[in-house]
Amino acid sequence: MVFSWLHLAIVLFLLGGLLFAVGPLILAVLLAPKAKGGDLGMPYECGMRPHGPSWIKFGITYYVYALIFLAFDVDVLYLFPVATHYPATVGWVAFVKVFIFLFFLVLSVIYFWAKGVFTWPHQIRT
Amino acid sequence: MKIPIELIRIVVALVAVMAWVGLNALLLVYCERKYAGHIQRRPGPFEVGPHGIIQPLIDGLKLMAKQLLMPDGADAILFWLAPILSMIPVLLLFLCIPYSPLLTGWEVNLGLLLILAFAGLNVLALLLAGWGSNNKWGLLGAARAVSQSVAYEIPLLLAVLAIAFQTGTLNLTEIVNGQGSWPWQWNIIVQPLAFLIYFTSILGETNRAPFDLPEAESELTAGFHTEYSSMGFGLFFMAEYANMVVVCSVATVLFLGGWKGPFFDGWWWFLAKTYVLLFVMIWLRWTYPRVRFDQLLNINWKWLLPLAVANLLGTAFLMKVFA
Repeated sequence: MVFSWLHLAIVLFLLGGLLFAVGPLILAVLLAPKAKGGDLGMPYECGMRPHGPSWIKFGITYYVYALIFLAFDVDVLYLFPVATHYPATVGWVAFVKVFIFLFFLVLSVIYFWAKGVFTWPHQIRT
Repeated sequence: MKIPIELIRIVVALVAVMAWVGLNALLLVYCERKYAGHIQRRPGPFEVGPHGIIQPLIDGLKLMAKQLLMPDGADAILFWLAPILSMIPVLLLFLCIPYSPLLTGWEVNLGLLLILAFAGLNVLALLLAGWGSNNKWGLLGAARAVSQSVAYEIPLLLAVLAIAFQTGTLNLTEIVNGQGSWPWQWNIIVQPLAFLIYFTSILGETNRAPFDLPEAESELTAGFHTEYSSMGFGLFFMAEYANMVVVCSVATVLFLGGWKGPFFDGWWWFLAKTYVLLFVMIWLRWTYPRVRFDQLLNINWKWLLPLAVANLLGTAFLMKVFA
């Protein structure tokens, strides 16, 4: 890969973003008062003392959604190169190929739907 | 030594984008509060300057004069990385948005993909913020933010793909060039469903009401940014407002003809359309009640996603029929 002006632009813009983020933070450090002590460092739980740590195991019901997302997002990415070439294709073969690709993608949603992932509270049948 | 013209262009674009992002944050804070006020039949900010116009600037100063706090037991690296990370990719998103044929930071032939890829980094920042702050509200907010952004990303991509299929390019400038000056020559006429799906998804992507579950103040205090004070909080909001401008700009490019408009093409049309979309976003926030979380996910997976896939297939089919 050749390092082009576009890459330089991307790097410079990311550095600019870093500057844009760190600048106000440093200003805040310089301007703000520096109080200490008391319950300043207590995690906020509506005024009460926190009950137990927050880094605990809890049932993320969104886990299955993450699985479908993985299936979809990786595959949708493949459609971008297809999109740029699609208007140039001749005949119906291209459409059939896109159809097959999308059909199997949708099948995953139908599968999860039938398994009850989208019904709350979750009753996932295995 | 001669300075290459490309370098000058990049630096000028960078400075312009920085100024633009800052200005937009001020402008949108003011708009948001003023619209909210008038929708709820009160004047909104009124004290600082005529009609409260200097209020957002004073708000920014106030934020800077507050102490940066970190809760005990928080993960210091992740906690401070999160607001910075949410701000870093924001400027880059403006790089290839064509405000007019001349006012384009850099014409990228994969511009659409570049924007979508770097916009995805924001989710990571929200996750780090919620996890790093060692707060239960934060953690719940982060879990919600991830599952929501992840879900709404897909209909968004599919809606964008419908346009890409039709135009056969990912270059934003070329997509605008493919549309005409009059409203009936814009892509929204051919792809009304894609526009609706896109607009609904960007509300979910940018965590705007009625889909602002990650920071739902009535259930989670402030969600992922509960523990952020001062500029830590400010950065999240600057990034959110900048992201709103980006997604509305992309909507303008893809569906509403970009800089083209009746009578005189130019950047004023681009700004006008973007701000109309932003106005609709703010309007929605103060009109609709917040949805429940299972409703939020089901709207996406049961409605938006099948519709988006059907729309994409329909586009591909009709293109072959009329080829």
